[in-house]
Amino acid sequence: MKYGRKSLHDKIVFYSLAIPAIIIALILLLLLLTQTSLSIPIFNVQGVTSTYISTTWRPSYEPPPTGAWYGLLPAIWGTLTSAIIAVLLALPLSLSVVIFVEEILPRRFREYISAIIDLMAGMPTILFGIWGLSFLGPILQAYVMTPLHEYLGFIPVFSCKPLAPATVLTAGVLLSLMIFPFMVVVIQETYRAIPITYKEAGWSLGLTMYEYVKLNMSMISPAIVSAILLGFGRASSETAAVTLVVGNAYNIGFCILSPAYTISSLIANQFTESGDFPYMQNALFAGGLILLIIGLIVNTIGIIILRRLRF
Amino acid sequence: MSYGIAVEVKNLNVSIAGKPILKDVNVKIPESTITAIMGPSGSGKTTLLRVLNRLIDLIEGVEVKGSVKIFGRNILETDPYEVRRMSGMVFQIPNPFPHLSIYDNVALGAKINGIAKSKRELDELVKWALEKAMLWDEVKDRLRDPPWKLSGGQQQRLCLARALALKPRLLLLDEPTANIDPVNTLKIEEALRNLKKEEDMTIILVTHMPHQAIRISDYIIMLYEGVVVEVGPTEEIAINPKHELTSRFLRGEM
Ligand SMILES: Nc1ncnc2c1ncn2[C@@H]1O[C@H](COP(=O)(O)OP(=O)(O)O)[C@@H](O)[C@H]1O
Ligand SMILES: [Mg+2]
Repeated sequence: MKYGRKSLHDKIVFYSLAIPAIIIALILLLLLLTQTSLSIPIFNVQGVTSTYISTTWRPSYEPPPTGAWYGLLPAIWGTLTSAIIAVLLALPLSLSVVIFVEEILPRRFREYISAIIDLMAGMPTILFGIWGLSFLGPILQAYVMTPLHEYLGFIPVFSCKPLAPATVLTAGVLLSLMIFPFMVVVIQETYRAIPITYKEAGWSLGLTMYEYVKLNMSMISPAIVSAILLGFGRASSETAAVTLVVGNAYNIGFCILSPAYTISSLIANQFTESGDFPYMQNALFAGGLILLIIGLIVNTIGIIILRRLRF
Repeated sequence: MSYGIAVEVKNLNVSIAGKPILKDVNVKIPESTITAIMGPSGSGKTTLLRVLNRLIDLIEGVEVKGSVKIFGRNILETDPYEVRRMSGMVFQIPNPFPHLSIYDNVALGAKINGIAKSKRELDELVKWALEKAMLWDEVKDRLRDPPWKLSGGQQQRLCLARALALKPRLLLLDEPTANIDPVNTLKIEEALRNLKKEEDMTIILVTHMPHQAIRISDYIIMLYEGVVVEVGPTEEIAINPKHELTSRFLRGEM
């Protein structure tokens, strides 16, 4: 880009708009640097790899490695499993909402559905949390998790008895409700942008509604992948609601019917007291660092894929 | 070969949101012929074409009255999905599916409609359709390429092949050469002539180019503001148009 022949006025506008953008980029960099530098002490005493792959969380007034030990794998595992459950549930939900709104619902009702979805997307996440804890969790425990364990308990993911309403599955289900509005928006906007001429070509081949929708969805598959990644990014970083419904137990295992921690719920629960224990705060920063890295990777890829989609 | 009536339209009235678009249209189109629908922009040519494959149903607030028979079947009382499989359509702007390869663009309709039973049959059908669209030689070594690597004119011939892969007896084209160069235009015209001769296809072509109509059509339907003002064999109409509008149109004044 050349700004050579711009007037002074244009230059002032340009710089006054560019500076906030640069500041934001710098803040992101600063965040990354702070997270890294505050993680380094724990890496020095425990090692990077063993911090991330150890399953032991043992707070103590004696510093690690002999006294305390802060392994993050259970929290990372809880984050990944609950986010994966969320995406697996939210994907079919959002695809069917998009298909219903775009292809079946009469045009005049579409705005109402969009308004409801926007409302859901903008809801304070803590409201999802208390609803999940007091309503959704007990219902899931009684009508979903218990039957799953009884009838499908031979499958490792359902092998443990659901003793409490707050479990990885509850967190996953709640997260799916929280991320699906965002996934709907990403998929729907792209679906709407399919030029009418492709849709007409599809119909002119005599496709049935099912085949027609399948054709359109495969046309916008990059947007679907992108919605999955962005949804995963949101689900893995969600804190307020998850902290309430995930159960906050330092478990690791394949079973999704037991309580667990996620990285964000671990930080939310432990950070205030972590000053009392040497290195614990650094361990939590190390958790934050991995969360930040996961988020940056997933969101960047998601956005790049979405950008590449051109009709 | 029987040269019966391919399309018979009786008292066709189409309105969109209460506004009449086609008024009392009556035409008979013989089998194995090329018919050109002509008329100024907005006269209802596209609408008439889209009645024939029920694409018109996609418009909200549309009302279609009268009877339309294609090869003896009243298509207004037939399942629209079935009607659409009876004919192939080529649109004004080349619109191959961007995410499918050249091969898959052609194969899609055939696969879904169960026309080809095996991979070999499908390969043969794709080859046949591309040959008939006069595109085979140009793409046979790159069937897996995406369609946007082709020129606009090649893309339009790909769309013709996609329509042909349905093995339709009726082919509908809506100003197929409006957006492509003269060389490709001539290729498509040659393809259409051959499809009529070799495959006994009935072809209905909307065109705004009087010369194109004279070059390839057997019959001309002249539309003006939703009314058929003249219809007849091309030789007659070209030499001796009965209607003032037709002669002005043929002279290129509209
Ligand atoms: N989707 C639509 N909604 C409302 N009016 C339409 C629609 N499509 C076509 N029309 C109207 O129908 C008339 C005929 O259009 P069309 O069949 O496209 O004409 P042509 O193909 O001869 O240019 C025009 O007046 C146009 O405004
Ligand atoms: Mg038109």
